[in-house]
Amino acid sequence: MRAYVTYLSKRLVQFAVVVFVGINITYLVTHMTPIDPVEQSISAATSFGSTSPEAIEMMRQSLRQLYGLEGSPWEQYVSFWKRILVGDFGPSLSAFPTPVSQLILRALPWTVGLLLVSTLLTWFLGNLLGGLAGYYRNSRILRAFGVISMGLKPIPYYVVALMLLIIFGFLWPILPISGGATMASDRSNTLAFALDVAVHSILPVLSLMAVGIGGWFMGMRSLVSNVVTEDYVIYAELAGVKGSRILRSYVMRNALGPQVTGLALQLGAIFNGAIITEYVFGYPGVGSLLISAVHAGDYSLVLGITTISIVAVSATVLLIDLLYPLIDPRVEAH
Amino acid sequence: MQILRLLTVATGLALAATTALAQTTVPGVPRNETIILENPEGTIKNPGWFNIWTINAGGQYTGLHQLALDTLWYIDPERGLDGVWENSLAADKPIYNADFTEMTVKLRPGIYWSDGVEFTADDLIYTVETQIKNPGMRWSALLALNVESVSSPEPWTVRFKLKRPNSRFHSLFTVRFNAIWIMPKHIFEKAADPQKFNFNPPVSLGAYKIHSHDPDGKWYIWQKREDWQRTTLGRYGEPGPKYAAYIDPGPPDKRVIAQLNHNLDVVHDIAPEGMFTLSKQSPSLKTWFKNFPFAHPDPTLPSVIFNMQNPAFQNRDVRWALALLIDAKAVSMASYRGAATLSPIGIPPTGTHPDDYHIPLQDWLASYEIDTGKSKVKPYDPNIGNQIADMLRPTMKEQIPTDPTEIRKAFGYGWWKPNPQAAAELLEKAGYTKRGNAWHTPDGKPFSIKLMVEGDSRPILTRAGTMIVQQWRQFGIDAKTEVAQGTMLDRRNAGDFETLISWSVETYGGHPDLSYFLDSWHSQFVAAPGKTQSPRNWQRWSHPELDKIIEEVRRISFDDKRTVELGREYAKLIVREMPIIPLMAYNVFTAMDETYWTGYPTAENPYANPVPNWGNSRSMMVKLKPKQQ
Repeated sequence: MRAYVTYLSKRLVQFAVVVFVGINITYLVTHMTPIDPVEQSISAATSFGSTSPEAIEMMRQSLRQLYGLEGSPWEQYVSFWKRILVGDFGPSLSAFPTPVSQLILRALPWTVGLLLVSTLLTWFLGNLLGGLAGYYRNSRILRAFGVISMGLKPIPYYVVALMLLIIFGFLWPILPISGGATMASDRSNTLAFALDVAVHSILPVLSLMAVGIGGWFMGMRSLVSNVVTEDYVIYAELAGVKGSRILRSYVMRNALGPQVTGLALQLGAIFNGAIITEYVFGYPGVGSLLISAVHAGDYSLVLGITTISIVAVSATVLLIDLLYPLIDPRVEAH
Repeated sequence: MQILRLLTVATGLALAATTALAQTTVPGVPRNETIILENPEGTIKNPGWFNIWTINAGGQYTGLHQLALDTLWYIDPERGLDGVWENSLAADKPIYNADFTEMTVKLRPGIYWSDGVEFTADDLIYTVETQIKNPGMRWSALLALNVESVSSPEPWTVRFKLKRPNSRFHSLFTVRFNAIWIMPKHIFEKAADPQKFNFNPPVSLGAYKIHSHDPDGKWYIWQKREDWQRTTLGRYGEPGPKYAAYIDPGPPDKRVIAQLNHNLDVVHDIAPEGMFTLSKQSPSLKTWFKNFPFAHPDPTLPSVIFNMQNPAFQNRDVRWALALLIDAKAVSMASYRGAATLSPIGIPPTGTHPDDYHIPLQDWLASYEIDTGKSKVKPYDPNIGNQIADMLRPTMKEQIPTDPTEIRKAFGYGWWKPNPQAAAELLEKAGYTKRGNAWHTPDGKPFSIKLMVEGDSRPILTRAGTMIVQQWRQFGIDAKTEVAQGTMLDRRNAGDFETLISWSVETYGGHPDLSYFLDSWHSQFVAAPGKTQSPRNWQRWSHPELDKIIEEVRRISFDDKRTVELGREYAKLIVREMPIIPLMAYNVFTAMDETYWTGYPTAENPYANPVPNWGNSRSMMVKLKPKQQ
């Protein structure tokens, strides 16, 4: 137990260091970018409109004050950490004065919903079919699936996404091609709204699955191919254990370890958003928000999103590290 | 294997279930009563924010400034519903005193906010005073700089006392694209802080009021007011669509798909290739020009902008040499696939400008002569439009106009003939030498130029820039493109470029007065090297003759006939000095679908600019008629 506590303490310190360094790097990168949020705001507010150079100069000074960009770099840095430590990312500079947290909280459920479903489905189907393909090596259907999934894997994601858009949005227009839900749908009718959201997520999920499933399939097929040659599997077969039980309890279970680790890391990364998916399918998630924030030089928003992402990925890794010694006796807590 | 079968069946069932669901249905909002327009702002980050008087806090082109807000005057970039000038909330044109230190406005009575409160002089005064009191608001600086006091000496009259003479003060309240919108005093005066008030739901002064909006910022639906007669648009008749939805339809491919599926009535802008696809596949397509080049030329002038503070470009002969190396036909083909409307002068060839400037200056342009030091050349070619039309005819066939007037409207009124010989002579005159295939500067260094382009976010102008660089390179100049991407604005403002493809000329389009952009070109506003330049003189150019023109414009009224003469003097000065190489109008490929609505503005019926994010696109609503009853 003492060994585990030591292990836990070390991992917690490691977690804190990774988060601190990650946030600092992001802070530096965003503040070193040549994109100035004030100039972006001025440009957005004055483009096409009647204006005068003197007025722009006054507006520039007002915005610097309003956005809190005055003061030395050190003062700004200290003020940033003071806010971060109490969970306040400050106001968005491209949607001032709305708080960054409000913008992220609006987008996050869409991203988490979409990526959680697609990641879990891809993982589940990829591993299931990969496991079956490794065990039933002569199945034509599974071999054909292997060829298709491996064929899709190297195709750039946006090509697959556009193909799906053209097929299901234009040639056989049965699926919505844009947004997270139907325009003006009644969100108070929970069931109908959930169905609507599910239908709108079919194409994005399908596109993510199409390019993602091959990796899991191939990995699991290889793992199972190794496991089926293990003595305990051969012994079970000789002992007359049913094939389905051998597959479920002896083969799949033993092959799943590395795949679970991979899944955990992917789940942590869902807070980054799926930028291309959200762009192509017009999905209202964190990825689109991040891109618009980068273009607008809105470093408060960029920092808000990346901080959540850094914490999420680091927390997932920490969780895996903490759970592994408890689950797998081969891993020792040092 | 049973699991596999189950999965197959489940997938089939799921797909079958979705077949029943249409791509875009709007519950409670009948499609045949709704016009769906693209909002080029995309997804709005802060969808519940309607306070347009704060800086860049929420969406603007969501229908908010087109349909819900109003101000004193409008200038149409085309011909307008009843002329270019429209008295909107004002009953008449602005009345100035002799030295332009006072402006009086007579207001239109009988106009109501959507909550039933009457619009009065108090709203206008409140709009001005609130923004002056709160320096961080959108028009605070402009008003604080200009307004000494504002009062209402009698009902329906507002008088502005100005801090200094300003013959164009009214332009702050005149919509070209937008203007200072009038605030509802009775709503905002209840807000603790007007800068932190989201104005949700907005009350409107326009003919539409908010129906609903997406909490995730993808769409906004506006509903025609029952009392639309009590709005300024009401005097032109009842708006056709009962509902107007402004949506984010996504990337260009999806806009094309959405319009082919009749789920998007007005596409704001697409690449030329997208427009060509629509013209082939959509029988219900309506465009500004009936045939090629389809697009609406906006009163904006993409140009090659020289950084005039860079010593390399301070010699006029060098700038002219670079202009004479450009083959405008190739640039037109590379950028707009031939669908460019060229302009050799510093004024966009759109709206009423050809009548005021391009046509009257034809003789002067044709006789304009350059002395290269070795020869005298007349660089102008009035037939470039015909040549482009001839180039396109084999592929676009009957879509290319044959009438010379139509050709000039579509492709422009001429441009400069490529003349490498004259360019070489001009460079030699400036002290440049050619060694082998490479040109060298007077101090013996290779002549290199970087042309900054925006990149993926503005592909058409990037393609134009790439073609120009190629042409300069072929001549022996070490030219390169610099892709600025998101840093474009910052680098442009900071003067961190050698040459740039962008625009520093924007005009009213429908009115000959050029002060809209020209006033900011006065030498008093040119920033020192290394300092941030304020709009719009990105070339950081100053010239005593230009100052003289601007100062005279300031002294005369907006409608003075002399404005056209001064505009022509400016155009000639730009030709002589070439601080920018004007290229073409900013053509916007607005695609309109006639499945549900007819009556869109076109070159044949130019009552408005069809580009749906312009404030004056509201005019479209009263001309649109339903196709399906």
